[in-house]
Amino acid sequence: MKKQLIHIKGTKDGLVLRLDDQCSYSELVEELEKKVTEGHLDGKIDVQLHLGKRYCTPEQKAQLTKVVEEHQKLCVKKIQSDVITIEESFKQLETNRFETYVGIVRSGQTLRVTGDLLVLGDVNPNGRIEAGGNVHIAGKLKGIVHAGVNGNEEAIVYASHFEPTHVLIGNHVEVMTNESQFILDHTHQIFAYLGENDIIAYDRIQELRNIRPNLSTYKGGS
Amino acid sequence: MSEDELLFSKNIDDAITQDATLHKEGAANVGEAIVITSGKGGVGKTTTTANLGTALALQGKKVCLVDTDIGLRNLDVILGLENRIIYDLVDVIEGRCKMHQALVKDKRVDERLYLLPAAQNTDKNAINPEQMKIVVDELKREFDYVLIDCPAGIEQGYRNAVAGADRAIVVTTPEISAVRDADRIIGLLEQEPIEPPKLIINRIRKSLMANGDAMDITEVTTHLSIDLLGIIVDSEDVISSSNKGEPIVMNPNNKASLGYRNIARRILGDSVPLMSLEDDQPKGVFAKLKSLFK
Repeated sequence: MKKQLIHIKGTKDGLVLRLDDQCSYSELVEELEKKVTEGHLDGKIDVQLHLGKRYCTPEQKAQLTKVVEEHQKLCVKKIQSDVITIEESFKQLETNRFETYVGIVRSGQTLRVTGDLLVLGDVNPNGRIEAGGNVHIAGKLKGIVHAGVNGNEEAIVYASHFEPTHVLIGNHVEVMTNESQFILDHTHQIFAYLGENDIIAYDRIQELRNIRPNLSTYKGGS
Repeated sequence: MSEDELLFSKNIDDAITQDATLHKEGAANVGEAIVITSGKGGVGKTTTTANLGTALALQGKKVCLVDTDIGLRNLDVILGLENRIIYDLVDVIEGRCKMHQALVKDKRVDERLYLLPAAQNTDKNAINPEQMKIVVDELKREFDYVLIDCPAGIEQGYRNAVAGADRAIVVTTPEISAVRDADRIIGLLEQEPIEPPKLIINRIRKSLMANGDAMDITEVTTHLSIDLLGIIVDSEDVISSSNKGEPIVMNPNNKASLGYRNIARRILGDSVPLMSLEDDQPKGVFAKLKSLFK
């Protein structure tokens, strides 16, 4: 008997289709078409495709999705692969990179990073920081900070002296003219985050562990 | 400090000898070019240039002042040399005259202070940074110090002025708008291949600072976080002497003049303590009375 190219497994989240990663792509598509037209299924079922160590282009992924969804009420929720291209891996590295800037971001200057940023220095009025991730400033923040420029609303902005003119998180802007009483009372060791109702809120850095516990990357025990 | 400077000018020498377009023979004994800039207009760049130049010349150095504010020149007016200008910077660059023909000598400081005036009837785009660098390098072989008066703004005129400089001095006043522009210009200067810029705080009014109505000296220096080269107190005599075409620094009994003299000494490498703002207050009753009738 011919080797099975597709293994189907049922889980509580729907079907998992494990596709062989050694055969040719055309063979796989043919087999997949056969498998999904076989038999009859009731209702809408979620499907996950596991590609193993096969790399599929976005077009190929779209084709696989189409093949699966064509005949029955199957819905591809996720396509998973164990491999990514070098380009994608660099991109991931870049977005997760933690950069350190030593110096002063002066009026008219813009500092752009893809990941998180640590500034060892001040951000002066009219100086601007744009980061894909979180921004930590070990000096005075008196300028503009945009954290999570690509829409990451979990991003935070921390400064040891917190006195910015504008704070932006994701797509939300806060102009610091209608400062909350909290900011008027505290300027030291404050962080900004996107709180309830998409309003930018502030708190003492000590509260970060309750508000964004996932930011911690420390894995060790005590 | 002076050792650092020596090392620095040596590095510049190396850079010059590497640069094939520049003349080699003068590189052994080369002066220093300092650009005086501020970003914002009206904070006293030109007055500072005139006074520092005169103070350095009084200290026995050979100094050339270069006005790069083409189209809006006034360094010559402050020095009282306006009616002696024959050729200007643009004439030199475009080869209409030799350098020594364009230099205007200030007779008050014998044979040591010269001005290269800006052109009045053209604009800042008439020259480019490369041409400016050639002019400044030529002057550096003749003079101990070349002070370049930069126009306000960050456009072509600024780029021309900075092109030939080895060091930069940023002038500001204790006003937020001036400090903001100084911050911008420092950011730009830090990207140039020159020494970190130094700061002069001009037009300090003691009473405003004491009341907290103006930024005080520590506030300005911590905000800009660059070294403070000196402070100049506000004095009406500065304006009247500028109008007379005689730099205030020629008058040894003025506080602003003392400020400029101190800065000149610091440029030469002396360590001079920062002027105290307090001691110009009349001490005794009689002195107070006298100050009322001044």
